Amino acid sequence: MSDRYFISDADLRGLAADLLGAGTEVIAPVATDICQSPSAIAASACSLDHSLVDIDYRALGTADQLDLSRGLPQLSLKGYFLPEHEALCRWKQKGTTTEVIEVPTEFAPRVVLAAKACDAAALEVVDKVMNWDYEDELWNGRRAATTIVNLTCPMIDDSCFCTAVGAAPDDVKGADGLLTPVAGGYVYEPATDKGRALAEANKARFSGDVEADTLGREADDERAAARERVAANLEIDAASVRDWIDTHFEDPLLSQLAIRCNGCGACTSVCPTCHCFDIVDEQEGVGRGTRRRCWDTCQAPTFTLHASGHNPRDDQHVRYRQRINHKFAIYPLKFGEVLCTGCGRCTRVCHAGQDLVEILEAIDIAARRPGDDADPAADEPAEAAS
Amino acid sequence: MNIYQPLLTTVTEVVDETADTRTLRLEFQDEAVREEFAFKAGQFGEYSVFGAGESTFCIASSPTREGYIECSFKAIGKVTTELREVNVGDTVGFRGPYGNWFPVDDWKGKDVVFVAGGIGLAPVRCVIWNVLDRRDEFGDVTIVYGARSVDDLVYKRELEEWGSRADVKMVTTVDPGGDTPDWTGEVGYVTPVVEKTAPKADNAVAVVCGPPIVVKLTLPVLEKLGFSDDAVFTTLENRMKCGLGKCGRCNIGPVYVCKDGPVFTAAQMKALPAEF
Repeated sequence: MSDRYFISDADLRGLAADLLGAGTEVIAPVATDICQSPSAIAASACSLDHSLVDIDYRALGTADQLDLSRGLPQLSLKGYFLPEHEALCRWKQKGTTTEVIEVPTEFAPRVVLAAKACDAAALEVVDKVMNWDYEDELWNGRRAATTIVNLTCPMIDDSCFCTAVGAAPDDVKGADGLLTPVAGGYVYEPATDKGRALAEANKARFSGDVEADTLGREADDERAAARERVAANLEIDAASVRDWIDTHFEDPLLSQLAIRCNGCGACTSVCPTCHCFDIVDEQEGVGRGTRRRCWDTCQAPTFTLHASGHNPRDDQHVRYRQRINHKFAIYPLKFGEVLCTGCGRCTRVCHAGQDLVEILEAIDIAARRPGDDADPAADEPAEAAS
Repeated sequence: MNIYQPLLTTVTEVVDETADTRTLRLEFQDEAVREEFAFKAGQFGEYSVFGAGESTFCIASSPTREGYIECSFKAIGKVTTELREVNVGDTVGFRGPYGNWFPVDDWKGKDVVFVAGGIGLAPVRCVIWNVLDRRDEFGDVTIVYGARSVDDLVYKRELEEWGSRADVKMVTTVDPGGDTPDWTGEVGYVTPVVEKTAPKADNAVAVVCGPPIVVKLTLPVLEKLGFSDDAVFTTLENRMKCGLGKCGRCNIGPVYVCKDGPVFTAAQMKALPAEF
């Protein structure tokens, strides 16, 4: 059977309807009323006509909510795998006896349609830390239960830089298949067994005869064009950036690049790869409660504050350095992958104007500049050439 | 049972070490866990009071003493304040053991020098008993322990016991002004007392733990006495939540205290960026 399928726009909605009809949860981009959205904090700027003005990944109520016409959803898919807060266990107490109640680590199958490549790729990147010697069953359970179908990005803006960090707008990393818009519908390319199973189980919605010289080429062209559009935003040498950060912990450039940051932590919330969490107990009446993990942010001073009052990261530029260091040096050195997929959300939400595209560009320039500590032998050929 | 779910223990003994420091002895409620649970000297755990949360401390008892674990803590934060309220018979949650350990087995035949300040004796105590319970495998054992005042000395009964043993050289000191009229130990900061005690560095290892200032000042003294950076061990702490390398807050540059530590040699510690 062909490894490329055609699915019409109507059939894609039909597929969503079929899945919903069968009781499968379908998560997809949905246009939302910004006044009702997680960024309702900006509600004062909202028009009150409740027009559909933004886009979010939501569990579809009906198939016609599926909205493929807009750009990047406000929040990544992260929350569907690492919820903003989730129960780790519950307890009941009576006298001196305590009973701990397990939470389920198996989840009902669900499908994500039209995921952004940066959001799906982030899941595969975070898989590494979630399985670093100890396996996080809650994360893994949700990953195993989910089939993810990406959509080649139709809208790319100045903050996108996935191609600079080893991803691409038409990537299938972390996903099970890819949809690429073509005339009248989409070309679907499964990437995993789960992705093939989705097409197999819903055969009526897919047609297997994608001709390489027509629809196939149109899809290829669309994919190449998307990659080119992103690549124009930023190009860095991720390995040099990694090594430079790793060896320049005290470099003033890192403090200078942090100067506008006021530590609100919005970047870490919207980031698809930021996974740091807190664990807190929530008493729910007398003698029972829930231990939860909640998203946390390395940008808050309390993140590393010791009970003694000592704080190893006691200044904002140091906390910003930690974020850059974690993403572009520590994680790549430990797990071989940059902890960033170039979605650009951190730049878009930053009210202080911290721009990761600019910051990475500045570090890349520093990393390419022969410094006092650079290996002189490495510079010789360049000098000889000039 | 997911990796964040605690095991249940029962408090079987409560010892007040100082006005604000307490030691709890904990026994696992599940019989199979009680029999199978094993750890190595230097490892830590997440202790919890249900409703207050979890807190990170080393296991202060020795792996050679089976059937229970102990933790010593200062009531200073939210969880430790609640933990101080628990009594014998109460339930405490525990996750662990986590992290690396002191390579005690590699020290066979060597002299072992322990230097601790304040509550820094807790992780060292685990190693001290580990060594003393296998006493004939090691050379000379020297313990230098100091606290701000006589009242601040922890494990007082054990200090006496170690002091009375012929096979241990025990030096106890309190900061100037912290002594009492009947105090028979040294008066002075830990670091100069280590210098005065001058344990020999030849075929020896040293374990140092205490407030950052004690560790910082003691390392050069040990170096001066001839200890190489690979023969000096310490245990670091940082705020932790998971203990499993996932929650993302205990790293010092690229080094995760929870997984790459908490035990480090002086050589490893010197290679860390200045962020602790």
